[in-house]
Amino acid sequence: MAMKINTCSEVVSLARELEQQGATFYQELARRWPELSEVFSGFAKENENYLTLVERAYYGVISDAYEGCFAFDMDPDAHRIDTDLPEGLSRSQAVARATAMEENLISFYREAAQQSRSLMADVPRAMEMVAKKRTERLRKLQGL
Amino acid sequence: MAVLEEPIKEVLELKNYVNGEWVDSKAKERWDVINPATQKKLATVPMSTQEEVEGAIQAAQEAFPEWRRTPPLARVRCLFRLKEMMEKNFETLSRVQTMEHGKSIDESRGETRRGIEMVEVATGIPSLMQGYNLEDIASGIDEYVVYQPLGVFTHIAPFNFPFMVPLWYSPFALATGNTFVVKPSPRDPISQVKLAEMFEEAGIPPGVYNVIHGGAEAAKILMEHPAVKGVTFVGTTSIGKIVYKTAGENGKRAICQLSAKNFMVVMPDADVNATIAALLTSFFGNTGQRCLSGANLVMVGDDEKFNKRFLETFFDATAKIKVGYGLDESVQMGPMQSADGKKRVLKYIEIGIKEGAKLVLDGRKANIMGDYPETCFVGPTIFENVEPQMTIAREEIFGPVAAVLRARDLDTVIEWINASNYGNAAAIFTGSGKAAREFQYRVECGNIGINIGIVAPMAFFPFSGMKDSFYGVLHGQGKDAIRFFTESKVVVQRWF
Repeated sequence: MAMKINTCSEVVSLARELEQQGATFYQELARRWPELSEVFSGFAKENENYLTLVERAYYGVISDAYEGCFAFDMDPDAHRIDTDLPEGLSRSQAVARATAMEENLISFYREAAQQSRSLMADVPRAMEMVAKKRTERLRKLQGL
Repeated sequence: MAVLEEPIKEVLELKNYVNGEWVDSKAKERWDVINPATQKKLATVPMSTQEEVEGAIQAAQEAFPEWRRTPPLARVRCLFRLKEMMEKNFETLSRVQTMEHGKSIDESRGETRRGIEMVEVATGIPSLMQGYNLEDIASGIDEYVVYQPLGVFTHIAPFNFPFMVPLWYSPFALATGNTFVVKPSPRDPISQVKLAEMFEEAGIPPGVYNVIHGGAEAAKILMEHPAVKGVTFVGTTSIGKIVYKTAGENGKRAICQLSAKNFMVVMPDADVNATIAALLTSFFGNTGQRCLSGANLVMVGDDEKFNKRFLETFFDATAKIKVGYGLDESVQMGPMQSADGKKRVLKYIEIGIKEGAKLVLDGRKANIMGDYPETCFVGPTIFENVEPQMTIAREEIFGPVAAVLRARDLDTVIEWINASNYGNAAAIFTGSGKAAREFQYRVECGNIGINIGIVAPMAFFPFSGMKDSFYGVLHGQGKDAIRFFTESKVVVQRWF
């Protein structure tokens, strides 16, 4: 089991890693299924925006006076995402993987929002917002 | 988590920044700047000569008349550009602080943000610096006040916030039309050099902002020179006394923000989890090297069940603090900034044991994450059964040491706090508005926290302090800073 993560910096780095992995995953889906390229490329682009949202909140309000090093107690392994796309995967299987990934990410952002309540409001708000937007994305995926 | 990339790749030979030029010092004496976590040499810093320090003051003096005439809006445009540059270089500035000071990367980023906030507030000068007037104070006579800059101000910086503390003053000084000479701490001067590069790039005219390296001799010139109108200092009370006295004897105004011994008071109705998160930052953030750090943790009342549960949770959480190199993102507490600082902390731990306090968490042998020399590392330390008259409850340790005391009621704690020589900060953790109101009303400290562990005033409020924690009249930051850096001139006007 990996060590728990406790600092804001670690959580933001984990968010960065997850968003980038997710974006690469959607770019690959866009390449494999050109008929849905617009949707998947859009998701990849949105991942960048989500990361910007989180980073902006963190860098904008991180302050020596608040509990930046002590705010979190998260298990990073619980939020690892499976972005593996074996050859021969059907479209519906790929969408199922995307759905599982999004559910995992929603749970990550909700947990991060919950644990960052002692920080300035911008951080939990940004985390909540990303979780909410991902819930909307989930609906789009289910409609494919 | 991996260690973040270090922005300083080779040993730097630091120069002075005087009159818009980067100047090599002729000083024979140079100090090494050492990364306290890795013990690698980062830079050498000159102990500038008397002529060099005087040259910096002269450059500031000569730049003053034209800078003063520069419209406030044009002056703050330079500050807007400075802010942009600080944002652009945010991460580099933060990592440099971690390298030269040792604090965790989250803490360094917090310090960078706080520094930027000072610049942001100072950009409001066109509104904030306005005077006031009244017509017809007598028949046909009007009277008004204008706030005018005075000339050269200096800053003698501490080591504990190498980037932020000089920014408590310089943006306000410059925005109000003064010129400035800063002497960074020779222990960690690099982030001030990086900042000066940004002042230069932001188009601050030559001589308006100067950086001169040095030690006590340079500081003496900065507080005695006849051209200097005011001195700002952050450091220990013993040195602050000298600075305040010297400034006074030489007819200069001064702000001296000094040592502390801050009480964190936990009432039986405090929210346990939220309070503990706040206390961990308060006692162990910045490795306790902060004038707003918690030092004495006082459990109030005889609710033994609550006290036991609270303290056990606090001890457990403290024992789990990850100590190591601050560029490792998982690290929660870095090393002390210097081996001398560590020596001082160890000395106080010995004193605490000798005086009969119970050492419940011993930081003398730190459990360091990663392969780093122990030279500057101390682990979080907690003493229980501390009595208010003990040395560790009275003197500033300036390290990650918490002293746990018990008080029968709030009145007793307030007496203890008010009996302390220091009056920087105190905080109460409670769900009771009545207790909080009583605390903030009666406690003789400049910065009061109610369910806040680090009572750090924002840039638009004064950074207060009382008793031996502050010498001066006006404080740094906010409107106080604007008044400090200006003189009020009264004009009484009649036209025949």
